[in-house]
Amino acid sequence: MEQADKHAQNPGRERILARIRAALREAAPQHQASSTAGAIFAAVPDALGRFQQECAGNNTECLVVPDMGAGTAAVATVLGSLPAGEIFVQDAPSLRSMTSMWHEGRTVRWSSEGGPTESSSATISLAETLVAQTGSIFVSAACGGRGASVVAPVHIVVAGLEQLVPDLPAAFARLRESGALAKNSYLCLITGSSRTADIEKIIVMGAHGPRRLVVVLALGSS
Amino acid sequence: MSSAAQEFLRAAAIKSVDLGHRQTIRRAIDHYEAAVEHTRGRFNDWEAARQRCHEIKWEALNHLGRYLVEFEGRVRARRGHVFWAETSEQAQQYITDLALRRGVRTVVKSKSMVTEEIHLRPGLERKGFKVFETDLGEFIVQLRNERPYHIMTPAMHLTRSEIADLFTEKLGGVDSDDPQGLVAVARRELRKAFFSAEMGVSGANFLVADSGMVALTTNEGNGRLGTSLPRIHVAVTGIEKVIPRIEDLAVLWPVVALSGTGQSLACYNTLIGGPRGPNETDGPEEFHVVLLDNGRSELLADAEQRDVLHCIRCGACLNACPVFRTIGGHTYATTYPGPIGSVLTPNLHAGGQFRHLPFASSLCGACTDVCPVKIDLHHHLLHNRRNIVGSAKGPMSEQIGFKLWRWAMLNSRRFAFLSLLARVALRVLYRLGLEGSMIDPMRPWTKVHAAPRIPGKSFRALWREQHGTS
Amino acid sequence: MKKVAMFIPCFVDQLTPEVGLDMARVLQRIGYDTEFPDAQTCCGQPGFNSGYWTDARPLAERFVHVFRSAEVVVCPSGSCTTMVRNFYPELLARTTLVGEAVSLGRRVFEFSEFLVKVAEVSDVGARFPHRVAYHDACHALRELHLKQEPRELLRHVREIEFVEMPYSEECCGFGGTFATKFSMISSAMGETKSGNAESSGAEYLTSTDPSCLLHLDGVLRRRRSRVLTIHLAGILAQTEGPGGPARLNPAPERS
Repeated sequence: MEQADKHAQNPGRERILARIRAALREAAPQHQASSTAGAIFAAVPDALGRFQQECAGNNTECLVVPDMGAGTAAVATVLGSLPAGEIFVQDAPSLRSMTSMWHEGRTVRWSSEGGPTESSSATISLAETLVAQTGSIFVSAACGGRGASVVAPVHIVVAGLEQLVPDLPAAFARLRESGALAKNSYLCLITGSSRTADIEKIIVMGAHGPRRLVVVLALGSS
Repeated sequence: MSSAAQEFLRAAAIKSVDLGHRQTIRRAIDHYEAAVEHTRGRFNDWEAARQRCHEIKWEALNHLGRYLVEFEGRVRARRGHVFWAETSEQAQQYITDLALRRGVRTVVKSKSMVTEEIHLRPGLERKGFKVFETDLGEFIVQLRNERPYHIMTPAMHLTRSEIADLFTEKLGGVDSDDPQGLVAVARRELRKAFFSAEMGVSGANFLVADSGMVALTTNEGNGRLGTSLPRIHVAVTGIEKVIPRIEDLAVLWPVVALSGTGQSLACYNTLIGGPRGPNETDGPEEFHVVLLDNGRSELLADAEQRDVLHCIRCGACLNACPVFRTIGGHTYATTYPGPIGSVLTPNLHAGGQFRHLPFASSLCGACTDVCPVKIDLHHHLLHNRRNIVGSAKGPMSEQIGFKLWRWAMLNSRRFAFLSLLARVALRVLYRLGLEGSMIDPMRPWTKVHAAPRIPGKSFRALWREQHGTS
Repeated sequence: MKKVAMFIPCFVDQLTPEVGLDMARVLQRIGYDTEFPDAQTCCGQPGFNSGYWTDARPLAERFVHVFRSAEVVVCPSGSCTTMVRNFYPELLARTTLVGEAVSLGRRVFEFSEFLVKVAEVSDVGARFPHRVAYHDACHALRELHLKQEPRELLRHVREIEFVEMPYSEECCGFGGTFATKFSMISSAMGETKSGNAESSGAEYLTSTDPSCLLHLDGVLRRRRSRVLTIHLAGILAQTEGPGGPARLNPAPERS
């Protein structure tokens, strides 16, 4: 019923679809693939090494730590280098258990309380998956919300080695398997810190998103 | 000749001799080409990537109805709205009505060529809404009251000192032309807008059918803020942006990043499928996708040129085009300049006044070479020329000229004789120093070239002298 | 006896006949018998490029007839060769001649392409003691995929100093009727190319395409440049023969 109402309010829909049907009665020519075509991208044999290399290239600080205990200390060190102010943290059990170590002197706003405020000096979240091919991080709305990884000047991602996949096809497979693709209204593949090339096509870091992006990557559990 | 054509000639004449502009563009494009050269090595086989992208878009466009309906169904399942607009007016009306109904006062916009096509910002501003362009390049040209110069880099024609002067004049608080500082000024200005706007408008780079998601690519983060903070998000898109599967992005995202800016990937590749989900802690309450036709379904019907709709709006063809490099993006006076603009614009609605564009090219083919989805751009310029001459007819003098040319060339003795007459006349004229004068039939040539040497004997005459008739 | 038919573009026939004569000279020197089917006129490209396919089509049909019995056709122009090989099949698509056009396209070669890829000769015994830059004409480069072939031939010329000019692949701005319809853009592109040729330090600018060279020659002379233009065939035709040191044919006029 509701569907029919919607379509009645939007008569253009049927007309556009009808024009499309009529338009496609004739097939368009296609370019043929070259017989010598190779794989589009080379395989990624050493995902961790590649991830670190790519992060160095796209201005992501990648801190590899042996376990989550060391990870907590690494996050504390990063926060220690920042000015005082509220930090916004994804409300997840693993992050809750970390705060007892680095919480002193800092106000924490949890994602369960709502979105981050304009004055957050840093945001901390988990990730859906990490991509070695491009040194990228896939986050979703479930990682503390849409604003969690973009509003503050510094964003910290806490992740484990089992989340690292070699390339983009593997990342999409992981998102399908985990249900992240179906469950979230929003996902974002983050590659490096915010930047622009709009002035003379010269790359400048730190536009509207975080200027500083940190990944704390634990090789094992604590 | 349409008034748009006359205006084009006038603007082109000015830009063609503007050496400062040419130098600015040359520098910007050199940066871009160096970045592309450096990054292309990330592809094991670039030609295979182009072919794959071509196949993805071919599949999408040649089954367009099916994929659009699939996309729509999934968006609706997440409580998103999909509006199908046949014309610019319908699209603008929908968005304005929505803003009015929902008590919107401020709109933040990220870069979208489709919103330029439908003149969305002026339409909203006329109705009293405050609209902020949040993409830095768009922000800059908005302050200058100019249209975007380039589909990827809207302020490419400006130097850093021109931008610094602009910010000083309009915003204050600018003490140098260091690009870092200028970006910080823009960030400061737009921050307030992001946090106070009720509506965020974006475009869409791709519409993913099997997931019902809008894929939006930005480097700055403005696209993310604008689609996360305001309570309403509207994504405006042409119907041709659809792709079948999410996995297609594994090759399309790196390709558009390489061809667009010479990067491995853009900083933020975002996927948006609906308003805030039931278990989500933030995000818009409403999500609307406006699907725009505006002549695209007619271009779809032209099987020969259907692949023009494969365009992923990377801007590589603009950067490669020597005509674009000479006259710049504003001279075209269209939403889409450069080679893609010259094949697309005459075929969209209200395209009739832009029939000069397919002719304003030397057909060098650099555009076709760089197009990451293998659109046969320069051949489509030829197809457009044929179509325009066939339907709208060229100028009468030209029609007669080509009829005479055909008649002359269909007989070798006639050709040789008439050419001899022409050569004799030109030799006399040029000997009298009359090249470039009003009676010089080659005046369109000789007004910008030194007069050619006119030989006394043709090749065929000399050959006959040396070898006799065959 | 190896024999080729020469396809001499209409404007070469009438405005730059030396290009055709030089090409014949080189072909004869490497052992080919050259014939000129004088029934030929024009391949139809000007009309085709301007959108007048109905007027260009009869010219294409006539061309196919004229060269029907030629086993090999050689042409000193990338754009004219492109017209026959790449565009005749489309222009003649709905005619009975389309099969013949496709076949002819396989037998037509641009001059440098013929020398290097068919005759398999890179050293034609030429001598040209000057600094020379090469302009990659667009059709030769992008439609016929010729990049190394002209350079290969130039590198084997005795005493030549070959220099790569900056942006050698950028269009010169000729573009056929584009040069007259949009003359300000065309001449600006020609000025850009001229500046690049000058900055390479070259004495001569050469190319496979006489149309590009006509355009650039007109721009260079207008700006009183010291750079001279010469067709690739003109360079390859120069030898140290019994006539003494190399002579340019004809000497360019200076105002």
